[in-house]
Amino acid sequence: MSAALHLTGLSLKLNFRNRMAILYGYLFPLIFLVAFWAIYRNDPVPLALHVGQFLTVTVLGGACFGLPTTIVGERERGVWRRYVLAPVPHFIFVVSILAARYVLLVTAALLQLALGLAFGMPLPLHPFDLWLGFSLVAFAFMAMGMVIAMLVDNVPAVQALGQCIFLPMLMIGGVAVRLESLPAWAQHIAAFFPGRYAVEVLQAAATGTGLSHAGFDFLALGLIGLAGSIAAAGMFRWDKSFAPNKAWLAVALGMWLVVGVLAEMQGRITVQSAQDTQDVGTSRNYLAVKPGPASTPESSWRDVSDADYDKIAFDRLPPDTGIISPVSRADEVPDPVILPELDRIRDALPGWAPGNVADPVQRARNLLMIAAVPDILQMEQVERFVPRLVFARLQAVIPPRNLPKILYWIAMHPDDGDDTAIHQLQAFGLPDVTGPAKPARGRIMLYAFKLLGRLTGHIPPL
Amino acid sequence: MTAAVAVQGLTRRYGAVRAVDGISFDIGAGEIFGLLGPNGAGKTTTLECVLGLSRPDAGRIAICGQDARANPRETSAKIGAVLQAAGLQDKITPREALELFRSFYPRAVAPDGLIDRFGLREKQNAAYDTLSGGQKQRLALALAFVGDPQVFVLDEPTAGLDPQMRREVQDHIRAMKDAGRAVLLATHDMDEAERLCDRLAVIAGGQTIATGTPQELIARSPSASLEDVILQLTARS
Repeated sequence: MSAALHLTGLSLKLNFRNRMAILYGYLFPLIFLVAFWAIYRNDPVPLALHVGQFLTVTVLGGACFGLPTTIVGERERGVWRRYVLAPVPHFIFVVSILAARYVLLVTAALLQLALGLAFGMPLPLHPFDLWLGFSLVAFAFMAMGMVIAMLVDNVPAVQALGQCIFLPMLMIGGVAVRLESLPAWAQHIAAFFPGRYAVEVLQAAATGTGLSHAGFDFLALGLIGLAGSIAAAGMFRWDKSFAPNKAWLAVALGMWLVVGVLAEMQGRITVQSAQDTQDVGTSRNYLAVKPGPASTPESSWRDVSDADYDKIAFDRLPPDTGIISPVSRADEVPDPVILPELDRIRDALPGWAPGNVADPVQRARNLLMIAAVPDILQMEQVERFVPRLVFARLQAVIPPRNLPKILYWIAMHPDDGDDTAIHQLQAFGLPDVTGPAKPARGRIMLYAFKLLGRLTGHIPPL
Repeated sequence: MTAAVAVQGLTRRYGAVRAVDGISFDIGAGEIFGLLGPNGAGKTTTLECVLGLSRPDAGRIAICGQDARANPRETSAKIGAVLQAAGLQDKITPREALELFRSFYPRAVAPDGLIDRFGLREKQNAAYDTLSGGQKQRLALALAFVGDPQVFVLDEPTAGLDPQMRREVQDHIRAMKDAGRAVLLATHDMDEAERLCDRLAVIAGGQTIATGTPQELIARSPSASLEDVILQLTARS
């Protein structure tokens, strides 16, 4: 135990004395973070939707370069050969080096998150899940780093082999470039790389529904890590004069293949967009005064009165600048890149059949669906501008006297009515939403509240 | 009395090549045993087998009566080694290295005593890559002592050192003997072997071609030096 602690502590100290290690271990991840921030600076919430990506880059860099460079460098210098002479179980040396690397990865990630917070990124929704997911990602990638370390004889070879893994994973593995931005063939290839699963797990913990809905990704990383550990153990050598048995490599790469095939079989390959299905609660969550047992609910939207609006706690609604139900500021100018997309939605609104049905409540519900879906699909730049178009259309097609009542009615009865409009959004260039419509109904509720608040003066106007 | 080091029929093959071929020797407590021979003779492979760095294909090695193969951890705790490569990181300091290696051994010596004994006080907190060749070798010796071993295995410990430093290292080796420790020394330096070793084994082609005290070996050819004798023996083999 004492040996393990000494070696772990010393490995950390030596790392901090090495300028190149500091550069790769800390500065490089921060540069990546700034790059993400610069690229996605128009996001309503800075960096939040890229937590999985920038943390994965950090672990990947540490695993592909940092860990094997340390091990191979020490092995070349005869450090490991010297350690083996000591009356200590050999696994202690490996565990200590890995423990030190884990600490370096965690501190680098914490630095990234701290800088992200300084840039305005919100706190992760599931911090414990994020730590757990990060640890699993570190396990999977450090096992890969150990395989690299056992395969190559010298430090330049680490760089060469590391780049062969690092760059493809970044570009077509779903790490630096989001899966939904990749062509279908690349999405298929990405399923055979662990980077994709790492991003999914970390992002689910940061802004999604936590690890409980990332079971396959969690399993994939666990299997890849386990296979990598077995392969590295099989090829382990503390002296470069021993040739590794490269047949073990088949175990590590074979598991990448197995995971990719499993993903193919389960139809997990094509990603249209990452869905934000976070539960937003029920209408009762947004009432300042809970209705008592004696209160009689309105039987029709026509019975809604001004007094009902005062019962709503508009301040509990998610902020317009947040991830959930965002709304652009009045003075906010869309990026020219998305103008054609917004124009298409604006132009298609008048002729869209579900937006012209006779029942005004269903009509409003259908129109609100157009704002809800981009929010769920996290269509980063578009999602916060669409609600403004929808609000304008609602005001155009529903009499001003009725609109607040209808919005109140929809907000208080989010599960009522028909939701098949969710599958009729092709006219706006919006992708089809798979899975249950409940999350979309939740967002409809929020947008109904938000427009109602503006119409009644409870929220500053658009 | 049990030998500190007992090697019997040691054989180590690399493919078709027999790097070590049936070598046997014993070393008693307080004895310096030298391995002499040309490059590629099998000296380093023999040391590696004794240290547990290389697994013998045949033969038996016992350290203080314990079988090295059956009890690797117990026997390695009894050995202190100086290898040809220092095996230390560039930025580690002598004190950190001693503290680290101290944590590996059950019966370890306090670093402060070793720092003073090997004249490292001034450089105790200096990075390894800033030490001179002599200071690095002093540290290597200090590390060999840190586990308070019964046996020292030294692979060309004075190679590349200036005469003054070589003499200092030789004094430390004599101190090992005086403390009752067994020393297995591989060297190319005939003068060093003659002055330090109680007994010698001359190795060539992986086999022992002669053993004896330096005086016994020199006596084989009275008019020649030890170096001449060794050259004659190895050339003949």
